Amino acid sequence: MTPAIVTTNLAKQYGRVNALAGLSLRVESGETFGFLGPNGAGKTTTIRLLLGLLQPTGGGAEVLGQPIGAAGTPARADIGYLPGELALWPGFTGWHTLRFLERMAQRPAVDRDDLLARFGLADADLRRPVRTYSDGMKQKIGLVQALQCRPSLAFLDEPTKGLDPLVQQAFYDALAAARARGTTIFFSSHILSEVERVCDRVAMLRAGHLVAAGTIESVLASQRRRVRATFTAPIDPVPLARFGDVLVSNPTQIELLVPRASVTELVRSLGGLPVADLTIEPMSLEDAFLEHYR
Amino acid sequence: MSALHTIAALLRHGWARHRAALIPIVLAIGVFQFLLTRIAPAANEANWIGSMMAMLPPELRELAGGNLAMTSGGFLAVAYAHPFFILLLSAWIIRTSSAAVAGEVGLGTMDLLASRPAARWTFVVAGLITVMVGLAAIAGAALLGTTIGVGARALGVTGRQFAPIAFTAWLLFAALGGVGLLISATRRDGGQATAWTIAVVAGSFVLDYVARLWAPIARTRPLSLFRYYEPPVILVSGIPSITLVVLSSVLIVSVTLAIVIVQRRDL
Repeated sequence: MTPAIVTTNLAKQYGRVNALAGLSLRVESGETFGFLGPNGAGKTTTIRLLLGLLQPTGGGAEVLGQPIGAAGTPARADIGYLPGELALWPGFTGWHTLRFLERMAQRPAVDRDDLLARFGLADADLRRPVRTYSDGMKQKIGLVQALQCRPSLAFLDEPTKGLDPLVQQAFYDALAAARARGTTIFFSSHILSEVERVCDRVAMLRAGHLVAAGTIESVLASQRRRVRATFTAPIDPVPLARFGDVLVSNPTQIELLVPRASVTELVRSLGGLPVADLTIEPMSLEDAFLEHYR
Repeated sequence: MSALHTIAALLRHGWARHRAALIPIVLAIGVFQFLLTRIAPAANEANWIGSMMAMLPPELRELAGGNLAMTSGGFLAVAYAHPFFILLLSAWIIRTSSAAVAGEVGLGTMDLLASRPAARWTFVVAGLITVMVGLAAIAGAALLGTTIGVGARALGVTGRQFAPIAFTAWLLFAALGGVGLLISATRRDGGQATAWTIAVVAGSFVLDYVARLWAPIARTRPLSLFRYYEPPVILVSGIPSITLVVLSSVLIVSVTLAIVIVQRRDL
């Protein structure tokens, strides 16, 4: 099956600033792909390059089997997009906005009614001008327009921004429904718990460079373990400090971040000590994220 | 087929965005030109206009249409270069050309438009059609106002005589609209594009005006597009070939450049 996205050394430079430096990435059809990174890491630049809004300064990419840029224009009929900084026409009503963007997509909005019902957008709301909407309402309109034409690929940049927890749940359900229909989701978010919840694979960007990519399990497996030990009698913590970074250290307690390969040896060392309690935790995605960006 | 579909959608979008401005402009122009037929001198009233004109310095008299302005037809032809007429046509092209590309980029809505299966050139072409159709409505309303007026009052002229003037006004502002689209294609903000287009239109108008009054810069007058729009001359002699060539060329070149730039730029 043709991958949804393939990038090869994709780069974007603004003067001396490297917004994206040689990104090589592959997103398979039908998967939900999390795209992580702090502000300015290059996430939005990547999405805008893939949509042909920006011209790359190096490398190339294919989206739905078509090269990005002018040659990929027809393929965009099959793509939905929710921008991170969503802007709508203030004077248009919700209905006008959705119908206009449906015409521009050149595909019928087969899923619009379902999405409107999921997000609780009533006819009366949609008859009002967008300028009267709250940020959450605008975000709902943004989500509906991105998914209403049942795209094969949807780029969602910070999709839950401004949504209350109930609507967030409705969004996760809508995402699951889209995914069940075979839509590939390219999901950019700062909220790591939701990425962990909805994504099959993730990629992490830092200052325009890819720092990690893979399934969430593989990304976490490659991270260090958090080891916490408490003791029934005071011990000398110094010999244990060589196993990793010490987070907490006192005569009756120690907490370390330990490379996966060193865990066995550390446990062996602890065997000779008066251990009262021992916990070894894999890092959460949030820990992994912070580990990469500290 | 796909491009036509996109352009049709963008034209509906343009109509939704700009109709609130177009309708009052059309009405105001039509009423203005009609009212001028009410005050235009009839054949037996030319003397008092002549007396007034005689008091003006020669340059200003020329600017006001010269001896031709003392006739009904000349008076009404000069009205097609009245600042009110120029201002309303300018307002239309500045508004629509700035909005076509820079306005959408600045508002942030270009992301939604350009992420659709829309070739970039369609934004310029749809903008151009919006500019030109709106101009046609405005110039048509002016001609209609004149035609109704001269039909209701015996001034010895017919509305049909003013059609070439209305057409040339349309062509002049279409060319200026093309320049506005070129500016819009290079900017990231609708406000910037508006400011630059105002500067070009006003600069062109002022250059023509001053160059007619001040001999040292008279040779620069052909640099102004307003130089090629002289309603009294058009009324008497028809549309000069140079006018058609220059204004059409400016329109074609500026729109072509706008398309080339939009195809290559970051949105």
